[in-house]
Amino acid sequence: MLTIPTLNAVPPRDARERVVLVLGNPNVGKTTLINALAGTNMTVGNWSGVTVEKREAKVYFAGKAIHLTDLPGAYSLSPNTPEELITRTALLEAAPDLILNVLDAGNLERNLYLTLQALEFGLPMVIALNLMDEAADKGMTVNAAALSQAIGIPVIPMVASSGRGVKDLLRFMAEPPAPTQTRPTYPLALESAAHQLEAAAQAFEKLLPHTRRYVALNLLEGDASLRSKLTITGHGALVAQSDGLTQALASTNLEPLLELAEVRYSEANRIARLAIPSFEHRRTLTERIDRWALHPYLGIPLFLLSMLLVFRLTFSVGAPFVNFIGGPLQETLSGWAAALLQPLPSVFGALVNGALIPGVGTVLAFVPTLLILYLAMSFLEDSGYMARAAFLMDRTMRSVGLDGKAFIPMILGFGCNVPAVYATRTLENPKARLITTMILPFMSCSARLPVYVIFSAALFGSAGSTVVWAMYVLGTSVALLFAAVLSTRIKGVQDIPGVLELPPYRLPSASVMWKHGVNRTRSFVRRAGTTIATTVAVVWLTLSIPVSTGQGFATVAPRDSLFGEISSALAPVFAPAGFDTWQATGALIPAFVAKEVAISTLGQIYLGEQASSPAPLTALEGLTRLGNGLLEALRGAGASLLEVFAPPSLNADPSSERGNPLTAALSKAFSPAAGLAYLVFVLLYTPCIATVGAIANEQGRRIAWITVGYQLLTAWLLAVLTFQIFRHLL
Amino acid sequence: MLFVGTSLASVPLGHSATVEGIDRRHPLRKRLLELGFVPGARVTLVRAAPMGDPLELIAGGTHFALRRKDLELIFVEYTEGAA
Repeated sequence: MLTIPTLNAVPPRDARERVVLVLGNPNVGKTTLINALAGTNMTVGNWSGVTVEKREAKVYFAGKAIHLTDLPGAYSLSPNTPEELITRTALLEAAPDLILNVLDAGNLERNLYLTLQALEFGLPMVIALNLMDEAADKGMTVNAAALSQAIGIPVIPMVASSGRGVKDLLRFMAEPPAPTQTRPTYPLALESAAHQLEAAAQAFEKLLPHTRRYVALNLLEGDASLRSKLTITGHGALVAQSDGLTQALASTNLEPLLELAEVRYSEANRIARLAIPSFEHRRTLTERIDRWALHPYLGIPLFLLSMLLVFRLTFSVGAPFVNFIGGPLQETLSGWAAALLQPLPSVFGALVNGALIPGVGTVLAFVPTLLILYLAMSFLEDSGYMARAAFLMDRTMRSVGLDGKAFIPMILGFGCNVPAVYATRTLENPKARLITTMILPFMSCSARLPVYVIFSAALFGSAGSTVVWAMYVLGTSVALLFAAVLSTRIKGVQDIPGVLELPPYRLPSASVMWKHGVNRTRSFVRRAGTTIATTVAVVWLTLSIPVSTGQGFATVAPRDSLFGEISSALAPVFAPAGFDTWQATGALIPAFVAKEVAISTLGQIYLGEQASSPAPLTALEGLTRLGNGLLEALRGAGASLLEVFAPPSLNADPSSERGNPLTAALSKAFSPAAGLAYLVFVLLYTPCIATVGAIANEQGRRIAWITVGYQLLTAWLLAVLTFQIFRHLL
Repeated sequence: MLFVGTSLASVPLGHSATVEGIDRRHPLRKRLLELGFVPGARVTLVRAAPMGDPLELIAGGTHFALRRKDLELIFVEYTEGAA
């Protein structure tokens, strides 16, 4: 749940420190700008509002430590979304040395609306006139000097993606200019009402002096979140006074909201004309692409095709590496470990070679696959195509009670459910946020992919990738179905009105995309090294503890261990779904922590014994084996890269997974129907602890538990249904 | 306030119109005003999404998507035949 912070006093600051708030509309390249300034690993997105959390960076320049805070993209300082609320709260409660207002040079008029609002604070301000190159492509020559003169603050023309203008900007951040006295002038009656409120605000110590005029104007405008915030923090008298003033204005037919917007826009228009005296409209690349991308008949097929391409790329290029890491690399590591651990008691060998290497290794085998998926996702995000997907799918999403914007978090869910849950903050309607959050865990995230791939290879041969595809389709369908059901239960979501910006297409910078992809992959690897390694060790421990007397630690047969006993007790629950073996059931339990653990655990159970006694390898033997394996993987990846663009055949190379020992074990343990039911269950039940945490954070614990509950139920029901249908067919 | 004007929803695709005002009952009134749908602004309808809805339109140089239903309460001055 989003908390509204209280009004705090600002702590005094060192003279060598500079606090800069970075403010701007969505899609103006704020994050790229900070990336260029500070060189930190920041994510950049092109669909409205990717900056979900407050991002900070520190730069040293001219003997000053400059603290940059990237505020979420906002169209206005009168908030409509939780993101805009974050931005407003930051401006209200910090006393920055400088507001850095980033503008899109090609969209000056609309961007200046926010600038004119921010000027009401009377704080030192500098404009970074970004995307000058795009404006030039549109046929606009923007005169930064004229803009600066019209507003009375410094304006720096920039192309953040290429670093142009960064030095000039740093200079202003180190030595902020004096604030300007330029303000838009509103109708007299409105001005006098604002003055009265400003005077009244002086009595309230907790309201920082520079915020008084902003607070006065927004109260008159009827800003609901500001009203409630001020009422809660003991400023009720001020709110009451503004209500009286608003009523008086209404009786003279003056509506503050409309007046403020009109004055600001006519002012923005006047300033924009000064800065861009004339321009010839050129047909931009975006317009040309959108003729096809948003085509009434071809738009949706093209979108589906691009998603298909992304997944094909992911599977076929990643698969040879899965074999390499799961095969030669693991064998070699086990061999080396065996050689190293020979002098120690056998229990260490069992833990390392029977649990950690196969468990963590099976998960890490998917690193190349995921890197490709993440790169593809950031390309879609950063290029501006996500907003188009929302536009294309709006009508479809509306039939389940949501809107196109809710589709963006759903696509992000294919990557990872956790950021997808946070991405719901860009939705205006709180009910739509709730429903979208509740259906997101059904979207098949990348951690589920390893499970599908291994099972498909084991059981479905050439139909393997069709099965993987079916999982994505099933997950999305179940999510949409739940949206339809939930939106009839929860009032206030039918026909959510919404306005969506379609930003211009931008070629994502390769380095930013790479950072983005590597960052996400790194957190997957970190998870494999921490959460998953721990879970694997715990599973190993429970697999090693004998329940009945007479058997020793770590020598007990898996079935007779504590893990085996618990799993066996639960297994009958899955009898109607066809996978009531203790092994299958057991793997589902630790997978609550993270889905990919299912594969590690199956690996431990089925391969533990054979893997715990590998033949020791010398360094040289290992290296030869590694070299050969890697060469084969590279050759395979290169070959499959060409296949991605081959005529659509969903069939993966059936031999691609044959090298993996786990697939051999699974093909004996599961019937195809039971395997399919198992995948359905894995797809639909609780994705991971982190997602549950994210849901609890956004919507409260009650909603998180409800989601966990109906996911388990849905997963079980559909797994049973799948088994009962396919047991006679497969 | 009463607006005598044409609804933006009745302007054909590919044509432009000048905003006169947004009805007070419009659920997005505040947001649209902030995005530049103020009296006097030029709005161009570009295209419809698959299945006819939502619509893409340009206002103040920015491309937006809005549903047909949400265009109904936006009143405009529109000269027929003028592209």
